[in-house]
Amino acid sequence: MNGRIIFHIDMNSFYASVEAVHHPEWRGKPLAIAGKVEERRGIVVTASYEARAKGVKAPMPVWEARRRCPELIVKTPDFELYREASRQLFSLLKTYTPLVEKVSIDEGYMDATELARRVHPLRLAEDIQKRLLDELELPSSIGIAPNKFLAKMASDMKKPLGITVLRKRDVPKKLWPLPIADMHGVGAKTAEKLTAIGIRTIGDLAAADKAQIAALLGQYGEMLHERANGRDARPVDPEAEAVFKSISQSTTLPEDIVSEEEARRVFQRLAVRLSERLKKKRSVAYQAAITIRYANWQTTSHGKTVHQPLQSPQELAAIAVRLFAEHWDGRPIRLLGISVQSLEDAARATKQLDLFTYQTDAKEEPLLEAIQRLEAKYGAPVVQKGVARGQAAFKKAQADGARTPPPSPRPKQSRHEHSESEAEERPDSENESHA
Amino acid sequence: MALATSSIAGESGLLMKLTVYRDALAENVNHVMKAVSPRTTIPILTGIKLEATPEGLTLTGSDSDVSIQAFIPLEEDGVQKIEIHQPGSIVLIARYFADIVKKLPNDQVDIEVDSRFVTRIRSGQAEFSLNGLDAEEYPRLPVIRADNVVPIRKDLLKQVIRQTVYAVSTSETRPVLTGANWAIKNGRLTCVATDSHRLAKRVVAVDVDPAVEYKNVVIPGKSLNELGKILDDNGNDWVDIAITSNQILFKTDNIQFFSRLLEGNYPETDGLIPRDAKTEIILNTKEFLQAIDRASLLAREERNNVVKLKTFEAEKRVEIISQSPEIGRVYESVPVIDHSGEEMRISFSSKYMMDALTRIDAEEIKVTFTGAMKPFLIRPLDDDNILMLILPIRTN
Repeated sequence: MNGRIIFHIDMNSFYASVEAVHHPEWRGKPLAIAGKVEERRGIVVTASYEARAKGVKAPMPVWEARRRCPELIVKTPDFELYREASRQLFSLLKTYTPLVEKVSIDEGYMDATELARRVHPLRLAEDIQKRLLDELELPSSIGIAPNKFLAKMASDMKKPLGITVLRKRDVPKKLWPLPIADMHGVGAKTAEKLTAIGIRTIGDLAAADKAQIAALLGQYGEMLHERANGRDARPVDPEAEAVFKSISQSTTLPEDIVSEEEARRVFQRLAVRLSERLKKKRSVAYQAAITIRYANWQTTSHGKTVHQPLQSPQELAAIAVRLFAEHWDGRPIRLLGISVQSLEDAARATKQLDLFTYQTDAKEEPLLEAIQRLEAKYGAPVVQKGVARGQAAFKKAQADGARTPPPSPRPKQSRHEHSESEAEERPDSENESHA
Repeated sequence: MALATSSIAGESGLLMKLTVYRDALAENVNHVMKAVSPRTTIPILTGIKLEATPEGLTLTGSDSDVSIQAFIPLEEDGVQKIEIHQPGSIVLIARYFADIVKKLPNDQVDIEVDSRFVTRIRSGQAEFSLNGLDAEEYPRLPVIRADNVVPIRKDLLKQVIRQTVYAVSTSETRPVLTGANWAIKNGRLTCVATDSHRLAKRVVAVDVDPAVEYKNVVIPGKSLNELGKILDDNGNDWVDIAITSNQILFKTDNIQFFSRLLEGNYPETDGLIPRDAKTEIILNTKEFLQAIDRASLLAREERNNVVKLKTFEAEKRVEIISQSPEIGRVYESVPVIDHSGEEMRISFSSKYMMDALTRIDAEEIKVTFTGAMKPFLIRPLDDDNILMLILPIRTN
């Protein structure tokens, strides 16, 4: 792994930048992307640099953002638009090398070791950054380093439109003075634990006794210690996306809830939506987690890895309810969410049948046999089992009198007026990010 | 309490005094240790109770779910094992006592307990002083008053445990499935265990009045596994079983093994075992097992250990295939002794298959399929008293 050159490409206030492409009149103005503006769950997800200059930042309630910046333009998110921009972004990156790993909708790694034999890495980064700006009108920051961790830290050092080189020899001067909370991979809780034993900077962590950190944080601590010392052997993995990708569905409740029964109903609703999105992706999940946000905004997450694939609303609701029963501490709840990870192509997923329920699965057998016969006759997979596409949304749209069936599985705005304040918080509900 | 104990103390002022052969002590301490849990919520249960009577020494260990009592008689097979100088009792912290006993230098061990429960353990030139606990504080073992005692041969009981308990559930989602379900009817004991993905069933004859009937006796799998380890090949060949509504007792010459029973109704499983057959193949167990074992090398655990099996009627063989897109592919052809019915394609967990094949104790097996999405059965060729069932894996 000697002498690798890794880029981390990080888009600057991505959602706001994409919006500005489609609304040239908003360029240079303070802009915030936030959930349903008129309701209390409106939270700023992204703010343009102009808005940030006025003290607007995520996650901040919209009313507070407006107080700080009265001329703020607030836009509800349009994830279809952002996903499209993200697709363009990654296909542009892949014109350089196939060794591109998508980390989330707006950031990725690129292994530029081979490319750098022909082009100076700095020239290459400038070219990428310029093309993103010229062709997609999107600003980015790029970190250049011998490994992923340092590249990620480097891209953070200069924003917007920065290019930062972080060599191994720069680590003591550029990385070590940073506060520990700024280290990628260190969350609020980990930072708290580290600070409690006197580790305030990344340099402190690098110099700390590895065994002590391991005792405090386990294997994860050992990994952080390695990274603080500038070591990170992870390859850029173009396939990694599927594994880390997560889909989540959450809802801020119109009123705080305090009973397991109410929570169960909320989870069942969320599970239906989540299941539709999984089916649309023809995916199943092997990990599920729930998020509970209490009335005081304290937020906790609890997850579980399963052996049998999750896809149906029943399976998703059951695991969510179980996790909830295990972890809810009884306080009033403001938001509930379910997320799934470790996604796999449904065609590759297998399910260990159950003695007490196999009869349900066995009903599908004649169909599967027919498919097998066709496959045997024609070779390649000629048919696949169909999936019900956004059925609930379809019925809803019919009820709402929508004119364009079949509808997109994501419900139209009108849905909110008709359904009992279904109240999906878009920024959360459409969050497709890595774990 | 001080008065009471001093009145028990003998002339020497000691609460208990005995000399015992180290190996007999070590062996029996090891037995009762199987019931002692380091994570008990009842502090005294971290200890082993020693109770010396003129007949010998009784050791007791318990985690309140399982209790084990082992008795060392004055002599066994004409060989002296122990000498009781002063009958009495004491509780010693199990962890330390067990380790000490194992490492004592001499064949003989002197144990004496003074009125303050300080216990001196002497062997050769080594002397330990352990602070003991008052044996009066130790909970009483359940009193088993069963109308009937069910005798079973020890080796048969061990076999039953080995052939069924592996299939109990390890997950608490459905607690009753963490136990094995026993039923006695018409002089036959039926044992069933399932984690809902596979099932093992064994029927054995027991020497009781055919009128004796028990059902829904659900014994924790953990208890049966411990019992299996304790049942040695020495002494009397029979084990007496006594069953009450919430306890079961297994009794050999010198060991009493108590287990709590699981509450709740064990699900009815007989109706879920297919009766008809679409395909039946007869295989050499060892050949088949080895092929599955090889195929399992590429079957990933986190994805159900899938192996695929295809049967070929005319060619009298089965194909076993396993593949992982990341790792590679394995293919093997195994001859079948006989093939009847339709050709079958089915996927299942290599782990479940190996668990079943290593425990079936038959040279040749017949495997009966009723469909790719239905449970299939593995049985010895001419023995209906054992049945292993596996649920297939659905692949798309």
